[in-house]
Amino acid sequence: MDFYLGLAQIVGVHTLLGLSAYCVLLTGQVSLAQAGFFAIGAYVAAMLTVLAGWHIVPALAAASLVAGATACAVGFPALRVRGLMLVVATLAFGEAVRLFFFNFDYQVAKGEVKIGPAGGEGFRQIRFFPENGWSTLDVLVFIWVFVALVMTALWWMDRSRAGAVLRAVGEDEVAAQSAGINVTAVKVSAMTVGGFIAGLGGGIFAHYTAHIEHAQFGVALATFAIAYPILGGLSSVFGTLIAVVFVQAFLIEGLRFLGDWRNLLFGGLILFAMNVRPRGLIDAATIAAVKRMRIRNREPGNARTQGAE
Amino acid sequence: MSYLDVIDTLQSIADGVLFGATYSLLGIGFTLVFGVMHKINLSYAAASIGAAYASLIVLSVVKAPAIFIFMLAGLSGGIIGFVIYVVCFRFIPQANPLATLMSTVGALLLIDEIIVHATVGIPVPYPALFSDVIVNAGSFTLRGDLMFMFALGCLSMLLLLVLLYRTKLGIATRAVAQQSVAAQLCGISIPRINGLTFVITGVVGGIAGAMIGAAIGVLSPLLSLPLTTKGLIVTVIGGLGSIPGAIIAGLLVGGFENLFQYFRGVTERDLYVMLLLFVFLVFRPGGIFSPAAGRD
Repeated sequence: MDFYLGLAQIVGVHTLLGLSAYCVLLTGQVSLAQAGFFAIGAYVAAMLTVLAGWHIVPALAAASLVAGATACAVGFPALRVRGLMLVVATLAFGEAVRLFFFNFDYQVAKGEVKIGPAGGEGFRQIRFFPENGWSTLDVLVFIWVFVALVMTALWWMDRSRAGAVLRAVGEDEVAAQSAGINVTAVKVSAMTVGGFIAGLGGGIFAHYTAHIEHAQFGVALATFAIAYPILGGLSSVFGTLIAVVFVQAFLIEGLRFLGDWRNLLFGGLILFAMNVRPRGLIDAATIAAVKRMRIRNREPGNARTQGAE
Repeated sequence: MSYLDVIDTLQSIADGVLFGATYSLLGIGFTLVFGVMHKINLSYAAASIGAAYASLIVLSVVKAPAIFIFMLAGLSGGIIGFVIYVVCFRFIPQANPLATLMSTVGALLLIDEIIVHATVGIPVPYPALFSDVIVNAGSFTLRGDLMFMFALGCLSMLLLLVLLYRTKLGIATRAVAQQSVAAQLCGISIPRINGLTFVITGVVGGIAGAMIGAAIGVLSPLLSLPLTTKGLIVTVIGGLGSIPGAIIAGLLVGGFENLFQYFRGVTERDLYVMLLLFVFLVFRPGGIFSPAAGRD
């Protein structure tokens, strides 16, 4: 049972990571810096709870704010360039953050032992959950409350004017600009929101894994972050969730019985999925089909209720 | 700073520039595909390493002198390049850049895993040529294997430039890069040119992979992600779509990286390469040779 609870925790944190990339991708920008913001969130939150003795909720808030502010600061110069240049710029930023934490040594003596991030060895003493007696289930609920909050917020934003503006910039920048949209402001805000969500996810990640080190936040994680929304489709926030479940639960855990062959299948299945469904698992056509089905189901129902009246 | 320090500094820059030839070749591969298709092929560095592995396999079956390993690597690189074009680009709509980005990531993971699977995750030794030759020039020493590598890199760049600027195929490739619609109206088959571009870049990448193997002495799938990052950085510093830019940026990044490895150690080395990239992005976002503004 604990295995499934642990899996659900991983799915929750990766959903947050995927949603952070989703925000940025909506504006048509590919950002490989999400792993960097995730790392900033993880280190800030962990240092606040371990070294400063904060409660986890304010620590998470501070971590997301720091990551969001960094994203905003990075967004201004980075968004001057676009396309491949932006991919490379954000990739380099993510790697720079990782290398910074690789060389980051800030240890404080607490009693007999020294605690804190220790460069290449990582940050080992993150014990907020066990020290406060949280069970696996408590942690799981804690994570999913945040996931639900973020997903609802993004879903609501998608239906509002802000979502339309984001998508307009993503579809055609020149057209959006000629419609009076401040493209830079939109892109930088999307980047900031993305950084905020990534920082939140990172903070939670640091606390449930209890040990963080630079190698966890490499290019591979950044690629996963953009892979979720692209695989799931950019038409809906639920696409990202489904893609995370598909990748983490099915491709990584579900195919474990295949042994070594699982990893081979992993890349192959991503290739296959992109060839079969280039616009993601849930694309605009799927959503339209679901809506049509709902309307069709409602019509005979409506007729019956009217008949009863 | 004493005389010896100056010598050591210059020595490390020279070694880095010689190794930078491999970065140049990788940068050319990224830049060519971007120029022709306006797409990023993230699986390129992994495919190059894969081609070097394939050349080792061929060499273990057929007895041949070690020099042939570079030709074999180029050949297998070309084949892998074409396969990547077919599975990652051919059947995915052109108007969707995210899908091809993701499919090349899938190919990257797939190639890495095939390598891990075939070698049981153990790094494989790679034959170096002229590693026993050391040239002494005053206080400097130049490693024979690095010099051979550099010469080979220059030769392949030269051949590539001749191919692009002196043959019909090269004219067609540049025409597609400049204006694909106009090129199509002149009777150039776009899928054919795209496929051939992948074969050409694959050959270049295969040679680069073999050079990297020969310079480091071992091949490992762990090389592919750092090389992808370096290759992309070289592409951006050189200017997207500019081949001379990629060549110069590759040598620049190679020398810069080795210089900082000498001064700040291997853990901080890449941090300074990223800083170099940011300096370029802020002060010269178009790269060293920024292309003229596109018409489309």
